[in-house]
Amino acid sequence: MDGIIRILRRYVGLTILLAVLLLIINLILLSSLIFKEIHDEPSPESVVKQISQGLEGRSGKYTLNAAARNLLDENQAWMMLVDADGKVRWGERIPEEIPRSYNVIDAAKFSRYFLKQYPVYVWEHQDGLLVVGYPKNTFGKYQFDVRADWLRSLPVRILLLLVCNIALAILVSVLFGTRLFRSLKPLLEGIHALAKEKPVHVDTRGILSELAESINSTSDMLQKKNKALIARDEARSNWIAGISHDIRTPLSMILGYASELEEQPELPDEQKQQASIIRRQGERLRSLVSDLNLVSMLEYEMQPLHLKPIRLSVMARQVASDFLNNGLEDCYTITLNVTDESLQVMGDERLLYRAVTNLVQNSVRHNPGGCEIVLETSQSDDGDWNQFIVSDNGTGIPKEYLSEVVLLPYTAGRSRPARQGHGLGLPMVAQIAKAHHGKLILESDKGQGLRAALVFPVP
Amino acid sequence: MDTLKNKKVLIVDDEPEIREMIERFLRKEGFFRIYKAGSFAQGLSVARTEKPDVAILDVMLPDGDGFSLLSTLRSFSDMPVLFLSARGEDEDRLLGLGLGADDYIVKPFLPKELTLRLTGILKRVYASNASEQLPVFRLGNQTIHLESAMVSRDGKEFPLTAKEHAILVKLYENQGRIVTSDALCQAVWGDDSFGYENALMVHVRRIREKIEEDPSKPAFLLTVRGLGYKLLAQESR
Repeated sequence: MDGIIRILRRYVGLTILLAVLLLIINLILLSSLIFKEIHDEPSPESVVKQISQGLEGRSGKYTLNAAARNLLDENQAWMMLVDADGKVRWGERIPEEIPRSYNVIDAAKFSRYFLKQYPVYVWEHQDGLLVVGYPKNTFGKYQFDVRADWLRSLPVRILLLLVCNIALAILVSVLFGTRLFRSLKPLLEGIHALAKEKPVHVDTRGILSELAESINSTSDMLQKKNKALIARDEARSNWIAGISHDIRTPLSMILGYASELEEQPELPDEQKQQASIIRRQGERLRSLVSDLNLVSMLEYEMQPLHLKPIRLSVMARQVASDFLNNGLEDCYTITLNVTDESLQVMGDERLLYRAVTNLVQNSVRHNPGGCEIVLETSQSDDGDWNQFIVSDNGTGIPKEYLSEVVLLPYTAGRSRPARQGHGLGLPMVAQIAKAHHGKLILESDKGQGLRAALVFPVP
Repeated sequence: MDTLKNKKVLIVDDEPEIREMIERFLRKEGFFRIYKAGSFAQGLSVARTEKPDVAILDVMLPDGDGFSLLSTLRSFSDMPVLFLSARGEDEDRLLGLGLGADDYIVKPFLPKELTLRLTGILKRVYASNASEQLPVFRLGNQTIHLESAMVSRDGKEFPLTAKEHAILVKLYENQGRIVTSDALCQAVWGDDSFGYENALMVHVRRIREKIEEDPSKPAFLLTVRGLGYKLLAQESR
């Protein structure tokens, strides 16, 4: 489950990124929303300072200038000037409940907190202490006492906070991620199995039930379609087998009587020749019928392979000897080119023999004037393939038709009818190669001969 | 040889025309005691009453198949059987031969092939009792006695070793045809005889020393370059 771990890693990374981003956004929001308000209007300290500056006069006669008065009005504040003895020297809009004299204790108390629940702020004036009081409940006053080393260690603490946050984010995302992926895992496995066309049945409980149901129904559909396909292939293959079977009996009679006529001594030569033509065409039909069956079996992968190690050089000598023994005409030569005696492939002997003989037969049939045929066994340069090459120096096949001649006749993609023979020969060779996990590679052009390489994986 | 034509032949095939055609060909070849049957049951009863010497069986019969007919025949008769069938798949051939059939011919067939194979079977089964011996044949001045593994020349005798003998038998069986060195190695050393080519060459040279006038210019045991060897026997008896 390599994929799941990768997805999980990405998911965790994304979550961390998200957490950090959220933290930063929060910080920005915090500073802009909360601290902005304070900066919006002048702070009480600055108000007190400005009023103190706006307070003019000496020894009992004081006046506020317009700016300071405005400030007072805006804040609905009151003010008083307390002299060194604790007596209120002068005031402006002082509420009734405010005492007019203070001792040191009172002064110390209100300078830090409230005076009769009025939030007050003080400023040192040249004639005493200037006290500005705001209306009740407009300000909260809190005393922060901070140790110096705490302040110094603040950056480290903030960093620690950040780290804790990230760790928490990882933990939470891994926790949720694994839970999510635990429920995803069967679905993923199901999809992988679907790709391999295996029947799938995923548990449909949980949050992803709809997905699971889809996967199940897809699997069912695939299985059904596969079954239908197999049934159809089987029907087609059986049909071909039946047809070729039924052709065999009448063909036996045609061949039998034609060859009997051919050998009748009292028959005129012309009739004998006609009988011989009937016999030869019958033999062509016979090879078509037997090829057709094999081709259709191979096409639908119904041919059981009897695999065993086969040495290519043995096969080459066998094929060459058989052609020579069966009276290959003198205009054809067969040459062997065996580079390595030990090269072998896992193969079905009969099928491989048939493929190679087909290739040689092909060279013979398409070069009635004769040609040189070379059988070569070798290993590909990269050492991955063992190859059996049949080449001739005959008429060749035009390059543009090469891809077509390995297709079955009358299938999509093959437009040209077969020139000679029945057109099943090369497609059959290609299919035999395919059945052995190999391939048929044709190289040719007009007048350049044909080079047909059967390549098989090295066992 | 002509006694072979006296043998009783049973033809079992569901197609009357095929039966007639085969009968025709066999009669032309000189057989005259021919029995025909169109079905499993008929074939079986003919086989019981007439006791034919050889049977040609079709696989597809209206009331059974040739394979089970063969099994039934085997319960009371050892006669040789040749299958003649439209079913040519490997499985069918193997099944038929595995059941003890002597040959398997796939339709469509050439009549010549059928009669040749039939006489081949008859020869093997009935004619070989008299002379189940390996042949004696002449190569130039040499006479080769395969049975006793001897080559006689000018009144002198040269014995053949077991390996030389095996090579010569294989070549003789395929005389006039190329036998690949692989096939020879397999005949002498058995399967998986990869790497015996040099040994084969040595043995062939020794054989030539015994059967050729001039072993370096062989006239009978020819080398086919790259492929194998070929024996040209002048006369056999």
